[in-house]
Amino acid sequence: MSSAGFEIRAISGHAGPVPGAGLKREFEVCKLIDTTTCIGCKACEVACLEWNGYSFSETKFDNSYQTMPETSWNYWNLIKFNEHEDPDHGLMLLMRKDQCMHCEEPGCLAACPADNAIVQYVNGIVDFQQEHCIGCGYCISGCPFNIPKFSPDARKVFKCTLCVDRVSEGLEPACIKACPTGCLHFGTKPEMKELAETRAEQLREHSGFANAGVYDPAGISGTHVIYVLHDASNPENYGGLPSNPRIPWTVQLWKHPLKWIGNLAIVGGLLGLVVHYLRFGPKTLEEDKQKKPGAGQ
Amino acid sequence: MSEDTRVPPGNVLRYSFPERLVHWLAGFSYVYLMLTGLAFWSPWLFWLAFALGGGTISRELHSWVGLIFVVAVLLMFRMWHRQMHETAVDKEWWDAIPHYIRNEDEYVPTVGRFNGGQKLLFWGFLWCGLFLLLSGLILWFPNWVPWNLRYLRYIAVIVHPSLALITIGLFIIHVYMGLAMERGALISMTRGYVTIAFAKRYHGLWYNRVADDPSAKNETP
Amino acid sequence: MTNGWIDIKNTDMMLIMGGNPAENHPCGFKWAIEAKRNRNAKMIVVDPRFTRTAATADQFLQIRAGADIAFLGGMIHYAIENNRIARDYLVNYTNASFIIKEGFKLPEDGLYSGFDPATKTYDQSTWNYEGSGGGSGNSSGTKLGTQVTSPVPLPANVTHDPTLQNPRCVFQLLRQQYSRYTPEVVERITGIPRDQFLKAADLFTSIRKDGDMKKAATIIYAVGWTQHTFGTQIIRAAAIIQLLMGNVGRAGGGVNALRGHSNIQGATDMGGIFDNLPGYLKVPKPVDADLAAYLKRITTTSSKPTEWQSFNYWSNTPKFVVSFLKSLYGDTATKENDFAFDYLPKVDRNYSWTQIWDSMYRGTVKGMFAFGMNGVMIGPNTHKNIDALKKADWLVVGEIYPDETSEFWKAPGTTTDEMKNIKTTVYRLPCAGFAEKDGSMTNSARWLQWKNAAVPPPGDARLDQDILAQIFLAVRDLYKKEGGKFPDPVLNLTWAYTDPLHPSLSDVAREINGKTLVDLTDDTLKQTIKAGQQLPGFAWLKDDGTTSCGNWIYSGSWTEAGSQMARRGTEDPSGMGVYPNWGWSWPANRRVLYNRASCDVDGKPWDPTRRQVWWSEAAQKWVGNDVPDFKLDSHPKDHMGPFIMNPEGVGRIFGPLAAFADGPFPEHYEPIESPIENPLHPMQSNNPVVKKFTTAADKYGTPADGFTIVCTTYRLTEQYHYWTKNNPMNVQLIPEPFIEIPVELANDLGIEGSEVIKVTSARGTYIAKAFVTKRIKPMTIDGKKVYQIGLPIHQGFRGIKEDEERNARTPANFLTPTVVDPNAFTPESKGFLVKVEKA
Repeated sequence: MSSAGFEIRAISGHAGPVPGAGLKREFEVCKLIDTTTCIGCKACEVACLEWNGYSFSETKFDNSYQTMPETSWNYWNLIKFNEHEDPDHGLMLLMRKDQCMHCEEPGCLAACPADNAIVQYVNGIVDFQQEHCIGCGYCISGCPFNIPKFSPDARKVFKCTLCVDRVSEGLEPACIKACPTGCLHFGTKPEMKELAETRAEQLREHSGFANAGVYDPAGISGTHVIYVLHDASNPENYGGLPSNPRIPWTVQLWKHPLKWIGNLAIVGGLLGLVVHYLRFGPKTLEEDKQKKPGAGQ
Repeated sequence: MSEDTRVPPGNVLRYSFPERLVHWLAGFSYVYLMLTGLAFWSPWLFWLAFALGGGTISRELHSWVGLIFVVAVLLMFRMWHRQMHETAVDKEWWDAIPHYIRNEDEYVPTVGRFNGGQKLLFWGFLWCGLFLLLSGLILWFPNWVPWNLRYLRYIAVIVHPSLALITIGLFIIHVYMGLAMERGALISMTRGYVTIAFAKRYHGLWYNRVADDPSAKNETP
Repeated sequence: MTNGWIDIKNTDMMLIMGGNPAENHPCGFKWAIEAKRNRNAKMIVVDPRFTRTAATADQFLQIRAGADIAFLGGMIHYAIENNRIARDYLVNYTNASFIIKEGFKLPEDGLYSGFDPATKTYDQSTWNYEGSGGGSGNSSGTKLGTQVTSPVPLPANVTHDPTLQNPRCVFQLLRQQYSRYTPEVVERITGIPRDQFLKAADLFTSIRKDGDMKKAATIIYAVGWTQHTFGTQIIRAAAIIQLLMGNVGRAGGGVNALRGHSNIQGATDMGGIFDNLPGYLKVPKPVDADLAAYLKRITTTSSKPTEWQSFNYWSNTPKFVVSFLKSLYGDTATKENDFAFDYLPKVDRNYSWTQIWDSMYRGTVKGMFAFGMNGVMIGPNTHKNIDALKKADWLVVGEIYPDETSEFWKAPGTTTDEMKNIKTTVYRLPCAGFAEKDGSMTNSARWLQWKNAAVPPPGDARLDQDILAQIFLAVRDLYKKEGGKFPDPVLNLTWAYTDPLHPSLSDVAREINGKTLVDLTDDTLKQTIKAGQQLPGFAWLKDDGTTSCGNWIYSGSWTEAGSQMARRGTEDPSGMGVYPNWGWSWPANRRVLYNRASCDVDGKPWDPTRRQVWWSEAAQKWVGNDVPDFKLDSHPKDHMGPFIMNPEGVGRIFGPLAAFADGPFPEHYEPIESPIENPLHPMQSNNPVVKKFTTAADKYGTPADGFTIVCTTYRLTEQYHYWTKNNPMNVQLIPEPFIEIPVELANDLGIEGSEVIKVTSARGTYIAKAFVTKRIKPMTIDGKKVYQIGLPIHQGFRGIKEDEERNARTPANFLTPTVVDPNAFTPESKGFLVKVEKA
């Protein structure tokens, strides 16, 4: 959405150097979502819409408090409601704010073929640059969290920017600002990690949630949005939060071995033909005898 | 069919006008697909997309041209599939492929209208084309694939470039053969005819058939 | 609230019941979360549904709507039997030791002593303390409409037994009263399994384990408690628990009502109830022949054990009344004419909300001004209210949207022919919205906060005060020109605003605060204020006509130093969230009421880590982080009671005389529409003093008629009352009305989620989509399987989707019965009977 003036450490579909690639990372930003104190008020949803200038869209009641089934191109922040029967705690209403996780290893960026359409800043924010987006939707397949969404009108893909335009001005993201209970926090990754671990420990020791923990999945080298969960061993209960998210292996296969095999095959094949031509030359019809054509022909 | 094309003396009609039209429809659409596809394949080739009008246009047209290409492939299937069955002589031809590669054509049996390599090209493009279409549709409308069917997308992501690579291989050989190796092949696909020598040399069985009966339909291999 | 929003962060234990603050007060709920995060406070949520509040609770109990007193009575029983009570607090700060008169009888058969079945009222003379002497005005709380005024006063000297052993002392009566509320009975009535109840009771009372007084528990409620035919008594039960456990007056304690609008507390404070004048002064009645008689009736005299003291702050009532009359009538109000007391209307009967509509339905009320409320939607039995409006001659609606009230003639089910026959003239006045007005709002924590207008009203919309001023001035002109039966109150009303046609709200606020009319000197403070200056506070009020004050409890809100309500100081020296320089809290900027009770008898805080106020031996007065709610120089050894607004000086576990129409202790009665007979006393199932309404529109259903499902109404966090269905953003969040039903009921009826269903009560039908949920479970009530359902109130027949006819257009209150609490006259919207069918 914006070029925030942050140093960039990774660029999608890019050949050549990346300005901030080797830069020492002074700090990484992080959003902490404590699902155990979320009350599902949707203030974050409205704040997100208002800050990003999106307006009313049609929704339909679907046997839930949830605003819509999943985030959409113009609705980046959605609380997922789950009625969960827990063997130890009975009925639970699990509410999880779903949005871009700003992965350390972003699958969207890995999958994106368009130069500069997705960038990752040194502070960890993964940002879509719609002016460079070609609307191919590979990011949708690359994301393990079902976040990037295609706009049929704009023919481009959109998602949460972690309010990079606010963060670059020293403000917290709009959702954080709007949260009434303080279940959302924003700061540096180490700070948020510590806060989250402290809260998880409190839940384990004082609230009887033996499996309480922090969701910061290692499969994508961590995220810049982390959760405190009552039961970190079953993140799927929270509206399909993947327990071990990874960049889909086919995307990995495509972007790494296949790419090199393919490049080698194409270049090798072309070279082979050149050599073949030089060695054998074209087929001839007139001198159609036992003699082989000369190398020079 | 043959009435459409004036065949100069010493030549024989090899490809009718509709055949040539369909071939070039497939050919040009494929070239566009390959170039735009390569742009999305590697950042080092992304300039191709700009050269072809920009990334967004390339992405949009890639999908639509893909449909055109598949239509062309299907037309080719309709025209040629009966002639593309493998025959006993094709097996001999394949056995003699080292001689063919080394231009030792005298050791290569003469074949029907299409040789084994052309048949491979045909079936390769047909099957690759169909699966490129299926995977391409998924990639065209990723937002229509529900999250619980996301594995379709993951399959498409790997299937589409893999098959595309295979077709690139077939394409390169095909172009090399047509432009550089078999002199006369290009004319056959532009003007429609080949020299009788060419016909006899490479497709003798076919030539014998049409020489006997110029009106014979190209209905068998 | 006895305490305040921020103070919830100081608690160790929360009982949230009859309220759903996470959804309806999300911003205030942050403090409950703070308590959990920072103090490891526990939260118990008791509700008919598993709400979003329950989602953050340590324990959730699903209760049958209307069974709250059984639950709280069980809690009282548990606390007493397990000695989880604050004994010193109980003996010294409550009336637990007071001896009750012979002849008082507990309601083992459902009736207290003195019941008259003919009038359905009580002779409350036995509901009194044993003792000698007696004053006047002590029958405080006498309710209009119940037609009972007890001539018997409270005794001046009360007999008491500090050992609490006397079988007729309040404590022993309390124990006896709730001995019937065993865990088994609680289970039968509430549907809460015995083990779950015991776990919750143990958890809640654990703060008083082994006599420890350091911890504090709070009870938080909202309209889930008030909207019953025994609503006041539910809150009484909560108050009793809090007194029993020594939680009132303490940081993190108290009984805390969460108000449903940003300024509903202000409406109550300013006398927005028919039986109150501003500042909770009781309205004059026809028996009050003159000011002296009125003041004698409403001014309390102390009633306490001889060796104790009672501040009895209401003894100052004459100062409040006279200053109020001076603010209304200015120079016309003189000592000679009883300060124009005759100008005040003498209220002869119940004019509560449902009564007004009933009178309109019966044809005696001919017109209505409906400002700041959507009358058709908010009241029970919407069909009756719509029919009432059809009979009216005129209706004036001041609103920001075209609402259901102004378009009552378009209600679903009204045919075109019927519409033609409606003769009511409707005037619709576009008003300003909250962001277009300045003024003060009083929140649940009793804070007055001044706000500025953000934008001017659009188009032809006008400020409420402008509309009222113009109507008033026009009426006054008419009286001037034409005279009338009694023009004086109108002609002599003060209207000294800078711009009479557009009174500024700061002028009004200054008038409410009050001013002195002469030079005044306070000898103890050694302070003098000049004639015409704003009063520093209500302590300066006089009963001789030298001060003027619109509402004594708001005195101090706009002093010579300016608007105290506009203060935005963020200093919090104590760290307890007192914020003494933010806004202004009535009374006297005090943040926690009765805070003297946060100290032991010697004046030392029960919890040294949460010091609110304390006795300073050095200064010989009460000092603290909060403004002491006490007589500042009353030495602890004088044993003055901390509940200075009661004539007893102590908290009332027993509500004597006419304090409550339906009994000095809460007793469980079934809702008017209930799936069972009251297991405690089947012969007296309902509240005996509740009277049903009798028009043709007032129908009540029974299980025998097929109405077997308990239904309750509620609100959602995504919507605000009936406004936000006009706002696209809110409509996006919750686009359609729905009905929450248990999975098991849906299976029984073959209903799928999101399928349109029909809920029918004796009064009407509500149509919406089914929300099939695990969050409401079937219950076993008195051995019967009972289903409970709930529906949000927000949608009606006007709104974005409603106007496009894409939503069902039935208001929730089509279903609810017109039947009210006998003390507060609040309708019983929580807990009535329905049937559920596929639509």
